[in-house]
Amino acid sequence: MVKPAADWTERSLDLSRLLARAGLGDRAAFATLYERTSSHLFAVVLRINRDRAQAEDILQEVYVNVWRAAQSFDAAQSQPLTWLTSIARNRAIDSLRRVQTQPQFQTVGSAAGGTDPEDEDVYDTVADAAPGPLDLLSRATDARAVTQCMDKLTALQRQSVALAFYQGLSHAEVAQQLRQPLGTVKSWVRRALMTLKSCLQGAVVRDGKDA
Amino acid sequence: MDYGRPDLADSLAAEYVAGTLRGGARRRFESLLPAHALLREATRVWQERLMPLTESIAPVQPSGEVWRRVSERIGGEAKAATGAWQRLSLWRGLTTFASVAAIGLAVLLANPRAVPPPVVVVLAATGALPGGVQPASLVASISGDGATLVARPIVPVSVQADRSLELWAVPKDGAPRSLGVLPGGSGTVALRGSVLAGVDTLAVTIEPFGGSPTGKATGPIVYAGKFSL
Repeated sequence: MVKPAADWTERSLDLSRLLARAGLGDRAAFATLYERTSSHLFAVVLRINRDRAQAEDILQEVYVNVWRAAQSFDAAQSQPLTWLTSIARNRAIDSLRRVQTQPQFQTVGSAAGGTDPEDEDVYDTVADAAPGPLDLLSRATDARAVTQCMDKLTALQRQSVALAFYQGLSHAEVAQQLRQPLGTVKSWVRRALMTLKSCLQGAVVRDGKDA
Repeated sequence: MDYGRPDLADSLAAEYVAGTLRGGARRRFESLLPAHALLREATRVWQERLMPLTESIAPVQPSGEVWRRVSERIGGEAKAATGAWQRLSLWRGLTTFASVAAIGLAVLLANPRAVPPPVVVVLAATGALPGGVQPASLVASISGDGATLVARPIVPVSVQADRSLELWAVPKDGAPRSLGVLPGGSGTVALRGSVLAGVDTLAVTIEPFGGSPTGKATGPIVYAGKFSL
């Protein structure tokens, strides 16, 4: 959903300006951008990679990349926080792959089997006191269309998407966590995403905009 | 696999953004992004769809060490535009001094779409007209998707044979960015990346034939117009 500039929140406009100035080499603007966004991006990274030291390394890489890529940020195409969060998520998900190769990291054998390369990405899930992915979903109860559309999913679809999206779990890990066959989880996620898509497109049409 | 198929591009992008596309498939997808506009667009749309879900995650403050290391690493990285900050006040002063009567005219479409409407910028003559330029003005139209700019003179413009007109995007903060030369005052410019980010003024200068050799404007500003995107 591309929003016209007029719909942008003040915060988005603010971040866009800071990114544009950082793209021109303005370090003060970049420092302000870091100040305003780093605790959000750190939380996003930390949910996917729970190791605090590693999460801080990832965050460092994210902002060095943001500094280098700021010139390519296109405010007409993306919301600044979406752009930043996507970079952080991708880095965090990539770090799970690297964690896999660390010998000290204890891996759990893939119970689901299968030949997909993604099935090899099984990692230890750690229980802690932080809110679970479903809690996060239910807290995201603002007027955002995507959270309303989440209600259209079945409980298990919703849980699969939440585990994958918030915790960075692969299909195989979600299957393990929910004690469900891998193929079943894969089709839940696929159907959930397509349901979200058509629901969101419906929301746009209801708002009187072209889908 | 045929990544040009819209349905396949869409479902791959969905799994990529949701995070379930992993391992070799994820790396392959990322390596294809630069060359496949369809995949890039599908990815962008899925990011806009799903990223609002992260808003419910409570912020966590990283240690101050992270910023210290970031600023240390970017400290040595100079950017092309950095040296040009001082020139800014000169540019602003010039455009203000010339009291340019310019109109930034947003053409509103009756049926608002997700894509913003095109923006038409009138660049008025500043009065600084050496080198045999006729008093005239230009109209620049920026396409709704921000990808192209088409410049046309309102009346024919001529410059000395050894000079070129060069079009510049002037940001509120920062150095002017060249958009290219305009033979006869007209031309079509592909606007790459965020070249118009923070830009509120278009200006045309007279430069040596073929455009400024340094990448910075050297000649007088002959046309300028303010606008907002």
